[in-house]
Amino acid sequence: MIKSEAVKAAFREYYFKQKLVEAPDNMDQREFGYSLFGIPGMVRHLSFKNPGELTAALVREVPSDVYCSNALYRFPTLPMQEKQWQGADLIFDIDGKDLHLPCVPSHSYPVCSNCGQASPPVEKEYACPACGNKKAEYVSIPCGKCIDGSKKEAARLVEFLTGDLGIAKENIHVFFSGNNGFHFHISDGSYRPLDSQARSDLVGYLAGVGLIAESIGVRRSPGSDLAFVKFPKSGLDYGWRKRIAEELDISASSTIRLTNIVKEKGGYSAFKAELDRITRQLGVRIDPQVTTDVHRVFRMPGTLNSKSGLAKFRCSLDRLDSFDPFVDACVLGSTKVQVRMKTHAKVKLKGQTFSISKEEAELPAFAAVYFICKGLAEAA
Amino acid sequence: MSIRLGTGDLARYPFLNEAGEYLRQSGFGWEELDRPDMADIIQRAAERIEAGVSGKVYEKLDRYETEILTFLVTLIMVKSIGMEPVLKKYALAEARRAEKFLTEDLRRQNDAQRQALLSKIFGDLFGLAIDTTEDGRLFKVKVTDYLARSSHFHEQEWKMINRLVSNGNVYLGPDETVRLVRNELAVMINGRVHAMSLPALPKAIKERSDTLRAELAPRYEYRAHSVTEYPPCVKHAIEVMNRGENLPHSARLMLATYMLAIDKPVDEIVEMFKNAPDFNERITRYQVEHLAGSKGSRTKYSVPSCDKLRTENLCFATKDCDSIINPIQFGRRRK
Repeated sequence: MIKSEAVKAAFREYYFKQKLVEAPDNMDQREFGYSLFGIPGMVRHLSFKNPGELTAALVREVPSDVYCSNALYRFPTLPMQEKQWQGADLIFDIDGKDLHLPCVPSHSYPVCSNCGQASPPVEKEYACPACGNKKAEYVSIPCGKCIDGSKKEAARLVEFLTGDLGIAKENIHVFFSGNNGFHFHISDGSYRPLDSQARSDLVGYLAGVGLIAESIGVRRSPGSDLAFVKFPKSGLDYGWRKRIAEELDISASSTIRLTNIVKEKGGYSAFKAELDRITRQLGVRIDPQVTTDVHRVFRMPGTLNSKSGLAKFRCSLDRLDSFDPFVDACVLGSTKVQVRMKTHAKVKLKGQTFSISKEEAELPAFAAVYFICKGLAEAA
Repeated sequence: MSIRLGTGDLARYPFLNEAGEYLRQSGFGWEELDRPDMADIIQRAAERIEAGVSGKVYEKLDRYETEILTFLVTLIMVKSIGMEPVLKKYALAEARRAEKFLTEDLRRQNDAQRQALLSKIFGDLFGLAIDTTEDGRLFKVKVTDYLARSSHFHEQEWKMINRLVSNGNVYLGPDETVRLVRNELAVMINGRVHAMSLPALPKAIKERSDTLRAELAPRYEYRAHSVTEYPPCVKHAIEVMNRGENLPHSARLMLATYMLAIDKPVDEIVEMFKNAPDFNERITRYQVEHLAGSKGSRTKYSVPSCDKLRTENLCFATKDCDSIINPIQFGRRRK
């Protein structure tokens, strides 16, 4: 997919002057990969010995996207089976689109899957104004609510990581993903050896999947759907048990109260379903695939995201609230670029609102690139 | 503190290096096993193996020195029998026997000597640091130590979400703490038998091993199965696919690996995906062949476990699933 020379030029300028690209620790043991403008797929199995080599490659190739493995390998450039995996950093991906927020349809632009015609967001059923086709891909320009939604998930994840898992704050590195979400890199070495299955269990813990009623003391009476309560010896003082106890307003001595709650819900099975609903609501919505994949190449901090032209940008844990990706992660220059809009579209970048209803417009590079990357404009 | 191990400790934990050392110091030689008064030990060793392969735990602990020796003879006999399933079951039974003793010891661990022994076993053999809570009722293990082990257990209660977790620690009762390392103990015993080179066997042991092998062999003959019905997760994926709706990547992977596992031909599997909104025969065929291990990385992919499917929200278990741990087992349980 060619996103035009204008985008590449803006990316080149960024990588030429860049100060934000963060080379990972143990750099020589990482696998790198990148995609190039106009060429499908990804170049993988690359290795850079030091930050200088990496910078040189970025300036020379001007990739559309840059990735680095969370894993450490003995031989990062060999085929997967021969790399000799040495461990992988724990990573998390919170993606705004997985939150299914009610605001999404109001800022999703249908792009016809038949003729490529883009249209303004539609509330009702979609039909392409040019060819009448009813199938479309939706391009979302995240709004403030989307970002707030992702931030809330991120804050909750931080709470789980520091509270339940006891991970020190300095080992939690949070980044805006460069489009519509947050990436977490955990630099606590004790997580590195964990295999995919162990990470999957951890994902279950964070996402609130798989809590059994027995954990909080609700047991099924044999041969019926009735339940009786016998609290676990280890109590309800921490972790998920504490969360559920607070939610249901019970303590490890409220046998009668909990028995009544189960009755009210309609028995053991109904209570179990209710518990499942509660845990999923209290859990964090993270992408399970990302965390459980121990061979993934993950977007590199400080590089540009070709879905938006914004950077994967480091956020301070203490100032997550005030972080504004459309200001802080909007790092491209302001050279004027002439664009042809495919539809009326609106975005607020670096504090300026760009609501473009004309067919052609001259925009600063950061805004022009944003619309082009989203597929809502092309360079004129 | 230095730890003094008595014969009682060695009889309960005969896999400790100190047990072998004890026998060496007592001047014991293998040839002695042909002596008539050693028949009891060989008899006990045979019982110990038979109990193991029947899923039972050998209970005897009446004569400490005899049991230390019995354990070593058992290892030699299992090696001599030379059947992998026998070794596997035996190693697990041995681990369960030790589990019982470890649990008892953990419960009584206010005794400083006991505590040192347990720290040694958990630390030396399994690299697991355990700590006690202030009231001494519960044990703390690090979240990462817990996950590395528990994630291979299939019971829901072992999922970390069903544990008391705080500040990087998982709190466990004595029996649970021991259960956490039981498999490693089995793996260790298994490894020890594998690494052993057999000495010229005393006649008494050789004969007894041969008899045991002849007895046990018929249990492990291959039994064929056939699949009459798909598991609910696979059925669900097929339904979604037939409706022409988009099936997530992870569900497609499950569907294809399952079909490959039951030996459905690649052509038929490709056909199953033809209703997908983004169907492209060439790509689908490559992907299915990739999963089968005939293209690309040459790794044959296995069917994702029920655990994994649950995390990915792809599990639609019914009561017929009956505590299987992988969809491929659906309908295959021996009644």
